[in-house]
Amino acid sequence: MKRLAAALALVGALAAGPTFAQTPDPEVAKLKPKDFPTQPIEFTVVYPAGGGMDVTARLLAKYVEKHSGDRIIVNNRTGGAGMVGHAYLATQAKPDGYTVGVLANLVWGDAMLRAQGRWSLSDLEPIGYLNSDALTWVSSTEGPYKGMGVKEITQAAKEKPGTIRVATVPGSMWDYIVEQIEANAGAKFLRVPFQGGGAGITALIGGNVDVAQGFYSEFRGHLEAGKVKPLAVAATSRVDLLKDVPTFNEALGGIEYVWQVIRFAVVPKGTPADRKAYLTAAIQAAMKDPELVEEYHKTGVFFDPKLTDPARVAAGLEEYVQREREFYQNTGRLK
Amino acid sequence: MEAIGGLLTGFSVILTPTNLYLCMLGSLIGTLIGVLPGVGPLAALALLLPVTFALAPVSGLVMLASIFYGAMYGGSTTSVLLNIPGEAASVVTCLDGHQMARQGRAGAALGIAAIGSFIAGTLSVAAMTLFAPALAAIAIRFGPPENFGLMVLGLVCTLYMISGSTLKGVLMIAVGFLLAAVGIDVVNGQERFTFGFINLTGGVELLAVVIGLFGVAEILSNVEEIAKNTVLATRIRGLWPTLADWRASWRPILRGSGLGFFLGLVPGGGPVTASFISYAVEKRISRHPERFGKGAIEGVAGPEAANNSAVAGSMIPVLSLGIPGNPVTALLLGALVIQGIQPGPLFMVQRPDLFWGVIASMYLGNVFLLLLNLPLVGLWVQLLRVPYRVLFPIVLLLCVVGTYSANKNAFDLWVMLGFGVAGYVLRKLEYDLAPFLIAFVLAPLVEQSLRQSLVMSPDGALILLQRPATVLMLAASAVLVILMVHRNRKAQGGNR
Repeated sequence: MKRLAAALALVGALAAGPTFAQTPDPEVAKLKPKDFPTQPIEFTVVYPAGGGMDVTARLLAKYVEKHSGDRIIVNNRTGGAGMVGHAYLATQAKPDGYTVGVLANLVWGDAMLRAQGRWSLSDLEPIGYLNSDALTWVSSTEGPYKGMGVKEITQAAKEKPGTIRVATVPGSMWDYIVEQIEANAGAKFLRVPFQGGGAGITALIGGNVDVAQGFYSEFRGHLEAGKVKPLAVAATSRVDLLKDVPTFNEALGGIEYVWQVIRFAVVPKGTPADRKAYLTAAIQAAMKDPELVEEYHKTGVFFDPKLTDPARVAAGLEEYVQREREFYQNTGRLK
Repeated sequence: MEAIGGLLTGFSVILTPTNLYLCMLGSLIGTLIGVLPGVGPLAALALLLPVTFALAPVSGLVMLASIFYGAMYGGSTTSVLLNIPGEAASVVTCLDGHQMARQGRAGAALGIAAIGSFIAGTLSVAAMTLFAPALAAIAIRFGPPENFGLMVLGLVCTLYMISGSTLKGVLMIAVGFLLAAVGIDVVNGQERFTFGFINLTGGVELLAVVIGLFGVAEILSNVEEIAKNTVLATRIRGLWPTLADWRASWRPILRGSGLGFFLGLVPGGGPVTASFISYAVEKRISRHPERFGKGAIEGVAGPEAANNSAVAGSMIPVLSLGIPGNPVTALLLGALVIQGIQPGPLFMVQRPDLFWGVIASMYLGNVFLLLLNLPLVGLWVQLLRVPYRVLFPIVLLLCVVGTYSANKNAFDLWVMLGFGVAGYVLRKLEYDLAPFLIAFVLAPLVEQSLRQSLVMSPDGALILLQRPATVLMLAASAVLVILMVHRNRKAQGGNR
């Protein structure tokens, strides 16, 4: 048992990682409250380690540490497709500044449709915008639909209803956008359910669906290999990495086709103002660091101009919340 | 020869002091993670992920991968010694491994597990070296209908896991199916059987179920016999597998290697499924299936080989296509993404250093693990001398820590406790728990692949007959069921 204990100690020491001697930014240090933080700050991620949300949080943690000199721990509180973690942040986490939620806008759907009054969006206060990923439709460069744009494919789904197989994730934006297109164009797709965007892309490459939906990072490898063709992005304007790909709004003529993952940081309601201001400043400093911007770029995300101004984050997010709420109301999901 | 050139590149990358050290360290950590009941590779990798930020991409990946396969080596230890699986992939090892330990043959069981793991690990990495790109192309063709065929075949195999009453066994399989239905419906995204509990929306956590049923329940059963001073009073006979053991084991090891590799490769498969199915196969083709569950070394050798080669199999879709098939490989992918590297079909061409470096490191890692694990056999066997009253609080603590570490959700602890009590009662009533568990693992995959197939098919259920691979697997399942019914009839013939 002694050997075991010694080995465990080694693991522990390793896990603690190399602690760099970090000098905090004067801008951030200026706002540092007295007696805070005296222990590591937890970045709560509600999705499993290794996913897009986790990668965003871990990169952020690295640069917040650099700019504040504080120690950050990323904790994956998973379960229920994020719902368990969202409820934890809204109802259980202590509002003492030691818990920061690094979330995606999928929390809005949870709050509006699934929280059943146990918690609401006002329990979580945004303190910084991080990055965005636009839902993108991709088709295969082989098979009957190669070379077609999103407009032609929608037309085909109107002429031969129920024949074009689209990979979706049930009860989420993957499904909602298909629903919008079907309703507006009078088309009908065959929706094949998957547990996530990546699984749908795999099915596309394997010839088991005709259209897949996913984020840039999920299909980048296949795009470089010439296996897939992006059809349209569900963002308000074209994204840098896919300059030649139209938005759905452009291609289909509309304003409602905006479905993206927006990642941001929150603190539980009631977090003391001075600690909140300090955490906000630390995240801002990290987000201004060109190295972090570069690392985020490498993961294939983009920065939404509507949200990048720190003063406008809360208002900008609220605009998107409204947009989503209207969709739920119009489709009868929300009374 | 592309593979040889690639491998040379790989070794040139790996043979630096840092990378060798990290590969060894990962192997050691993996072994320990495997040994500790409850604490699994997923939690360990998540914990160590930040460490890899400071490392070169290849070094980080080598270390994380070695933890993953290292855990498969260590997992058998507590299965054999304490009848408590170190990992979900080592649950079946309990069945015969622990019986061997009770007969004083713990050393032989651990020895064959380590050597079987080594053989399987090395063979599967060799297969990976030679065929990775081709295999990835096949794996990606595996759509919902093919998956369904495979899962049905897997389910039929679970029938062979039943050791006592067939009725009770089938009942446990049904219960496994029912429990797996809790969560979010795969087609319409609605909650079902959650009774409004947020914590049930993601379904019942597998790890909590495994630890409850096999860890906590075992402790409860043993505590009952508190008079017993040590786990096993039997004299320990010989630390090494005998010649007879070898004769019985080499074929199961080879079969387990092949089976595990294939099951690791396809989506939905992985070390857990591989170990169960290998056990079922060994029992099916054995001339003395009645020896299984009573200390048959084949029941240790096959599954332990299978779970190891499944690791190499599951690395192929990640490294060749950037497609993770299970949470651990998803985490490996995340580790690369954090470094700004996105594996895809061109990964092998664009980053040969990484692709071949990891493969080369797996050859070395398996050697390290064998050298590490064989001497440890003697040490672990001494654990049996520790009085149970000292051992069980430690094991229980590890169960709690391991369960919590997976999701950081205290609800999982209640699940663990509930299944611990349920497992204790079910054992008393002589219900098999292994068929329950494998049904619980396979059911969501069966449901999802079937419903996906039906949704995507223009001709309804005919899609299952339009895909050759599916037809083949369904036919094999049917043959197995007929054979089993036939044999049962014959066995019961005299009584009627």
